[in-house]
Amino acid sequence: MGANRKLSGAMKLWAVAALFAVMHTATAATVGPVTDDLGVVRIAKGAPIQIGGYWVLSGADTSLGLDGKRGAEIAFADIGNKLLGHPIKFTVEDDLCNAEGGQTAATKLASNPQIVVVLGGACSSAATPAAPILWQQGITNICNACSAPALTAPDRKPSYDGFARTIASDIDQGASDAKYIYTVLKAHTLATVHDGSPYAQQLVAVTEKNFTQLGGKVVSQEAVAPTDVDMHPVLTKIAAAKPDVLYMPVFVAAAAQLLRQSKEISGLEHTALVGGGSLAAAEFIEAAGPAVVGFHIGYPDVSPDTMGKGYPEFLEKYKKAYGEAPISGYHANAYDAAEMAIKAIEKVGKTDKDGNLYIGRKALRDAVFAEKFAGLSGPIACDKYGQCAAFKPAVYEFVSADPKTFTMGKNPKKIWP
Amino acid sequence: MGDRLSQALAPRASWLMAAARLNAVDVVLWALRLLVVGVVVAGTIGTVVKARYDAAQWVDFVVFGLTIGAIYAQIALGYTMVYGVLRLINFAHGDFVMSGAFAGYFVAQPLDRSGFLQNNPVLGMGAILVVSVLTSTSIALLTERIAYRPFRRVAGLAPLICAIGVSFFLEQTFRGMFGSAVKSYPSPAWERASFDVFGFHLPRVDVLVIVLAVLFMAGLYLIVQRTRMGTAMRAVAEDGEAAALMGIDVNKVVVFTFLLGGAMAGIAGVFYAFVYKQVYFFMGFTPGIKAFGAAVLGGIGNIPGAMLGGFFLGMVESVGPALFLDGLGIPAPYQLRDLIAFTLLIMVLIFRPQGLLGERMARKRA
Repeated sequence: MGANRKLSGAMKLWAVAALFAVMHTATAATVGPVTDDLGVVRIAKGAPIQIGGYWVLSGADTSLGLDGKRGAEIAFADIGNKLLGHPIKFTVEDDLCNAEGGQTAATKLASNPQIVVVLGGACSSAATPAAPILWQQGITNICNACSAPALTAPDRKPSYDGFARTIASDIDQGASDAKYIYTVLKAHTLATVHDGSPYAQQLVAVTEKNFTQLGGKVVSQEAVAPTDVDMHPVLTKIAAAKPDVLYMPVFVAAAAQLLRQSKEISGLEHTALVGGGSLAAAEFIEAAGPAVVGFHIGYPDVSPDTMGKGYPEFLEKYKKAYGEAPISGYHANAYDAAEMAIKAIEKVGKTDKDGNLYIGRKALRDAVFAEKFAGLSGPIACDKYGQCAAFKPAVYEFVSADPKTFTMGKNPKKIWP
Repeated sequence: MGDRLSQALAPRASWLMAAARLNAVDVVLWALRLLVVGVVVAGTIGTVVKARYDAAQWVDFVVFGLTIGAIYAQIALGYTMVYGVLRLINFAHGDFVMSGAFAGYFVAQPLDRSGFLQNNPVLGMGAILVVSVLTSTSIALLTERIAYRPFRRVAGLAPLICAIGVSFFLEQTFRGMFGSAVKSYPSPAWERASFDVFGFHLPRVDVLVIVLAVLFMAGLYLIVQRTRMGTAMRAVAEDGEAAALMGIDVNKVVVFTFLLGGAMAGIAGVFYAFVYKQVYFFMGFTPGIKAFGAAVLGGIGNIPGAMLGGFFLGMVESVGPALFLDGLGIPAPYQLRDLIAFTLLIMVLIFRPQGLLGERMARKRA
């Protein structure tokens, strides 16, 4: 009897939990003039259209996120911060460039039923847990800087169906980096270091695969934690393998430590170091100091001469708004992500006779994925897995240790192709 | 005859009795110990057989381990002294280190830019150390007076929570004042040179840090063992109430303890920044936690124990992955270095719960 009562209590709890889950998951609805499989956002006359964002806004990698946030803000400013007669309210969370931060940021944004679409982030580590949380509520996520291949891979899970990005996949970046290392640096042996993040781990795997296919040999595969400080032992281990190149697409703090401490390790005197787009930031110069000069990073070609025709004008607006030149290379991609959101809302938003605006969530997602336009960062056109940007290969070299000189294309200077 | 037989059987009987007393937890613990010893032995043999590293590289591993160990040891001293005197785990101690490193950075940067640090290494380092020690000591003393003293006679977890609160406060204050970016510490040319000893290249900065750290720790040990204030510290650590009844000013002793701990934190901060070349607001957290582990390993409350624990932890972190895991074919073993270090720490504590050098204090307080 007691056991039955307990069982019944447990079943009730399960039922309540299931109901709660159903209530908090996007469901088909008809609101006003709009019917949508994933629900409809109703924005009352005069109320703001709420757009969310998540980027890394604190810690060593702040530049990567702040640059993207600024790009999106300029896109909204370009339309007077108004859309379909409603003001735009842009709510941004700090994702700390890690999984826990991404999860927290996405949960906060998803708990607001008025959020129409979410932009960001800067790190695949944050986007990997964030995108499914948002999509569970039917919220489309347009990322400007998370480049891990798995996010737009053909075998991605349905929970990523609402994820699209305006940055190229590291499938292309890894192939480009391997080609540069093998054919230009004439390296035949490669050592790699990742930090366990989806970005670094997946990029390293792609580069290793391509490097091996070209005829090279991977002689050492190492990993560090993003917070590791003492890199001497791991660098000594790498030195024992005598690699021609050490490929280390990790984030700012760990990369700066690897770069500086590599100069003190005997056996690495003739080893070239190559990093990734996670280091395309003024903060990396500040962290690495004089050791940064001569360091190479592989990153899509975002030098001003290869960007969209509105880029010079955008740069002026950026400088005017923030009192400095762009602090990383992700602003144009973020501008395009915001542009995608704006165009999609304009396309699917329906206003009733009282001035209330209705946006279907599934319709918005489909509109985002169907867009084609000449973006600030290049042509934007999504495949069915949300990959919306084309890849333009490039390698850059840092030429000055002064963080104020950071400008993509100048410092770091484009050296290839 | 019967006596002989019983004598012969006695050891066997005691073994059987001991075996009968074993419960499931004991069996698991023994299995764990055997597993760890097995991994260590098999890994070491595998690494030696592979012969991937030459003698110079092993020397490098040891020097790097001693360097980080010397820094852990210095930080651990602050934990262990405060615990010995107040029975408080001062979780803000890592942030005293951070504050010293930051203060040193603001002196080192202009000295480096002007060329003074390059041309006058002794004076330059002296100036950096003085400013760093003054800053971290001042913060340690203020923390004691403002945050810890009101909790002096409070039982329970409140003082510990207060210490964690102070840690967050200091981190966020420095973040607010100086930003969250990682700042590059100067690296003058004399620091990048190396000594040649028996054909091995020893980085000058590492040797300098190890030697100076040992000297400072020896000085601290002499202060605690040979001076009146040091004797008073030990008396308060044994029994604060009895010490007060004997006329010892406990407040003064506590302040002196924080002064010494703060000074060691300042020195550790400068060394840490010189070797690892970065400062940022969260830099004290990880070495602080590790140094606390080192203090526990050495026997918390015991000064030579903290030093030994620090060196042990540093050596295991540096040498352990290459020596124990490389031979087993485990890829990227350095991502497991904290796991190795803390597993060995736990193993030591299972065998010696009081730490390597035990806890030197009155039995009734132990």
